[in-house]
Amino acid sequence: MDLVFLAELAINGALTGLLYSLFAIGLVLIYKASSVPNLAQGGLTMVGAYVVVALASDVGLPLWLAIPLGAVFMFALGFGIERVALRRLAGRPVVMILMLTLGLDIFLRGVTLAIWGGTSRSMDLGVSYEPLFLGDIFISRIHLVGAGVAIGLFVAFMIFFRSRSGIKLRAIADDYMASWSVGISVERGVGLSWALASVVAVAAGVIWGEIQGVDQALSLLLLKGLTVAVLGGLDSILGAVVAGIILGIIENVGSDFLDPLVGGGSRELIVAAVLILTVMIRPHGLFGRHDIERV
Amino acid sequence: MQEKVEVQPILSMNSVEVLYDNVMMAIKGVSVQVPKGEMIALLGSNGAGKSTTLKAISGLLKAERGRVSRGEIKFEGTDITGMLAQNRVEMGICHVIEGRRVFEHLTPDENLTAAAPKGMSRSVLNAEKEKIYNYFPRLAERRNSLAGYLSGGEQQMLAIGRALVTQPSLLMLDEPSLGLAPFLVAEIFGILQKINQEEGMSVLLVEQNALAALEIVSEGYLIENGRVVMNGTAEALKSNSDIQEFYLGGGEGTDFHNVKHYSRRKRWLS
Ligand SMILES: Nc1ncnc2c1ncn2[C@@H]1O[C@H](COP(=O)(O)OP(=O)(O)OP(=O)(O)O)[C@@H](O)[C@H]1O
Ligand SMILES: [Mg+2]
Repeated sequence: MDLVFLAELAINGALTGLLYSLFAIGLVLIYKASSVPNLAQGGLTMVGAYVVVALASDVGLPLWLAIPLGAVFMFALGFGIERVALRRLAGRPVVMILMLTLGLDIFLRGVTLAIWGGTSRSMDLGVSYEPLFLGDIFISRIHLVGAGVAIGLFVAFMIFFRSRSGIKLRAIADDYMASWSVGISVERGVGLSWALASVVAVAAGVIWGEIQGVDQALSLLLLKGLTVAVLGGLDSILGAVVAGIILGIIENVGSDFLDPLVGGGSRELIVAAVLILTVMIRPHGLFGRHDIERV
Repeated sequence: MQEKVEVQPILSMNSVEVLYDNVMMAIKGVSVQVPKGEMIALLGSNGAGKSTTLKAISGLLKAERGRVSRGEIKFEGTDITGMLAQNRVEMGICHVIEGRRVFEHLTPDENLTAAAPKGMSRSVLNAEKEKIYNYFPRLAERRNSLAGYLSGGEQQMLAIGRALVTQPSLLMLDEPSLGLAPFLVAEIFGILQKINQEEGMSVLLVEQNALAALEIVSEGYLIENGRVVMNGTAEALKSNSDIQEFYLGGGEGTDFHNVKHYSRRKRWLS
């Protein structure tokens, strides 16, 4: 096989993978504060994209204004979700909260369908479609931009989780009762994690909206995002980044080998295999925290 | 019961009843006073209602679907009965909950940071941490390893240290001696006594280990079946024949985890 072609597959796979990471970081944020995988992250990402498109195309704001305003709106929405829905469930079994996030995802899809209909809208970021050439290797500019955003968010959250508020969020993830006992506002912490995840959803929604258009399909990113988050370890931001790169490469290179053999569709098979094997072989993922055995 | 002569107590709890899930009455009219600067013990066997009493005071009942259905709780003269837990911590009540619940995936240093009150400056926080590391030098040595891997005694010290960061004027501890070797219990109780003397912090100590607790407190309450059945100075309780028989046991160092089944047929129950 042509080495240059392999390198091209790997590099573009890694860049696409980082876009999965961008999505997965939102999942990790919520998991870190409430130990629940947020099944509504796909819905949030889609809403984030729609809100930006609405502000840009319908209201006519420039993108540099529409994106931050969309982020502010989503930040408030994240807090609102905690206030209205999650607070009642604090202390209930995790399955109940999981079902609630599923319900929320269906709700968000229904709302966007009702407001904006089913036709795909376009997000015009103004990034050129001219490929970039790295030697002989062909690279997509929008993927490069998205990968940069993912890495920027990764660095920002690594710093955040070492700050006092970040430490309080990690404390909440460890033990609600102990957090309450020292005066930490668990409700506000969980709300903050949803708010931050909703802002991440705007970033993911904008980039993915540019790549594949803004429509209901954006919410399906959940499947790959969840696979990346699980492979990375659900509560590890670093894990989400590394796992995104790994999944992106395996998917891109692997499908190139497998597609001719199985006649297409091997991307989904590869993602499914990664998810299933991770849960079976290494449930904590690559970097997830282990439950500490007490002696 | 005997009369107490004192100024306004820091905590006074009057005829408090607690319901869990609106049906299960866990305490049935408990009255407890903690005079300022004193150390008070709450004794009793399994299921007596000791933890429930502390949760009613700290506001943690809500997290377990419990509520105070009668009576009132006053802290420094203010009625706190319906207040949020986090507001009570701000007022100066901190509850070290049962079972050494440290934040396992955080380091001891981060455990202390997590408890920092809103608006505490970095320099004050660092000074608080140094003070706590001085009281518990073992914690200082392990300040950067994961709290989940500390020994039981170290975790209990960390749980106490974490509570101290909130700068409480009333510290409540739920069975801090549980599962610890006697020398560790002595060490931790000694430190509590020292903090009480140096900082004038009032302490409400829940214990099944009556022998150790009565050594450091000035006064104790005995709870059975959700009611206070006895209240007196530590000396009076230690010399009481019922307490001796059921709680202090015969041999040295017996705590009543081993003899709790006797307490089921105590005569003050009826
Ligand atoms: N969350 C809860 N829901 C329902 N009932 C509860 C709850 N917590 C405690 N109880 C009940 O309330 C009663 C008092 O419990 P509590 O935990 O206060 O006892 P305790 O004196 O602390 O006992 P132990 O020494 O075993 O810790 C018990 O009968 C217990 O079963
Ligand atoms: Mg108890």
